[in-house]
Amino acid sequence: MISEMNFWERIVYLLQQYGVSYLKGAGTTLVIAVVSTFIGCIIGFVAGIIQTIPVDKRRDSLAKRGLLKAVQTVFSIYVEVFRGTPMIVQAVFIYYGLSQMCHIQLGMWQAAFLVVSINTGAYMAESVRGGIISVDPGQMEGAKAIGMTHVQAMMTVILPQAFRNILPQIGNNLIINIKDTSVLSIISIVDLFFVHKSVAGAMYTYFESATIVMIMYLIMTVCASGLLRLWEKRMDGDAAYELADPMDIGNQMNKKGGEKLR
Amino acid sequence: MNTEGKTEILRVSHLEKSFGSHVVLKDINFAVEAGDVISVIGASGSGKSTMLRCINLLETPTGGQIFYHDEDITDPKLNVPAYRSRVGMVFQNFNLFYNMDVLENCMTGQVKVLRKDKKSAQEKAMHFLKKVGMEPYIHARPRQLSGGQKQRVAIARALAMEPELLLFDEPTSALDPQMVGEVLDVMTDLAREGLTMVIVTHEMAFAKDISKRVIFMADGLIEEEGTPKQIFEAPQSAVTKEFLSRFRGV
Ligand SMILES: Nc1ncnc2c1ncn2[C@@H]1O[C@H](COP(=O)(O)OP(=O)(O)O)[C@@H](O)[C@H]1O
Ligand SMILES: [Mg+2]
Repeated sequence: MISEMNFWERIVYLLQQYGVSYLKGAGTTLVIAVVSTFIGCIIGFVAGIIQTIPVDKRRDSLAKRGLLKAVQTVFSIYVEVFRGTPMIVQAVFIYYGLSQMCHIQLGMWQAAFLVVSINTGAYMAESVRGGIISVDPGQMEGAKAIGMTHVQAMMTVILPQAFRNILPQIGNNLIINIKDTSVLSIISIVDLFFVHKSVAGAMYTYFESATIVMIMYLIMTVCASGLLRLWEKRMDGDAAYELADPMDIGNQMNKKGGEKLR
Repeated sequence: MNTEGKTEILRVSHLEKSFGSHVVLKDINFAVEAGDVISVIGASGSGKSTMLRCINLLETPTGGQIFYHDEDITDPKLNVPAYRSRVGMVFQNFNLFYNMDVLENCMTGQVKVLRKDKKSAQEKAMHFLKKVGMEPYIHARPRQLSGGQKQRVAIARALAMEPELLLFDEPTSALDPQMVGEVLDVMTDLAREGLTMVIVTHEMAFAKDISKRVIFMADGLIEEEGTPKQIFEAPQSAVTKEFLSRFRGV
């Protein structure tokens, strides 16, 4: 009987009995975290880009400026609300709010993606805005000086650099989301933590089940941060570069003498 | 067109610029003709950068007009990017795109703004990179280059747009002294080839050597304008004399 087993025997027993459930729960957690981080990033980029559009009082029409201001205000409110409240409350608010006020009954996946994406989007919006602002203003001026429009400059020069700047924060959000999907069990989403609660409650094996779940979360987060670090490295590229035509350098240097004085 | 049959590219007329209550440019008037090499000298804070930035519309003038050929570029209806693609600018801090290598830096404007195909953009970029002696470094990233090399790439990037007029804002001021020469050499070549340039600089010997005309700015105004000979050897204004006396022996 389980009450006569020691710690290790109980762990083995749980894994034999519920291993598949734990794995399914972990899979659910991972899918929610990855998909929602991705959608959250898209929301964040849209919000961050809109919030950094400059206005020119002389060249932009009043209607355009008014519309932009309105959209920017909506995004600021969104950011404040979803950064300033706990996700566990947001989950309940959105899930039951939609069902009660709009008669929309969300499925498990829909609810999970919606809540976590919106929450991540609010954090990413600030990160993206910060990432854009932290790019040297000279980059924008360099792009404008060769005739790029604001959109062209953003797409080809600013956003690629901003993206590299905020990559660590995207990773951070992914890790946070892997852990924080656990609060979604409050709206009955069968993630890893939900599996834990069911198994532990039924078998009175809180400590053993928590040990298993701790390790599973840790494996997921460690893998996620490792993969992201790899991505960062790849984006930074080689520290060295190859000279286009090594045989010709001497000639080139002589022609345009690097050390030639005026 | 003016009386000598030369094409007037740019005419600055009663240009004013203030930041809030701080009046930086008071009443700037001058013209640039095709083939002109104009050096702008003056004390730091006299408004030289602000004037160049107004010409490139990186700053919006608060008064006066700037005519590019016959078009008033201070008109709010102007297509600003199209204008900027005709008037290039080289910055003190290079402003090379850090997410691109040297070759891409010189191609992106041609492809995105001038809508050229990649192949001809690359040929043009290579042509100008060769000209500034940076051809071997096409796959280097800006961070891997010295200041002088960066500035030469920045010049190639501007040239690749084939601008009608090129503005330089203290192109050698951020460089270590031993790198100033390589950049000035490139600019001297460009001047000889007839590129129209307006150059803000503190390199007096260089200005005297290559300019067709020199503008001396003081306190938001053009204090004196003339040939290098007139300005450097026989300045009329006391302010000009005082300024130049600090560069004696350069
Ligand atoms: N964006 C700005 N806002 C406020 N003041 C400025 C700005 N840019 C320049 N100025 C002021 O304008 C004056 C002229 O600056 P600048 O054109 O850079 O001079 P210069 O290039 O001749 O050294 C300085 O007093 C400077 O502080
Ligand atoms: Mg300056």
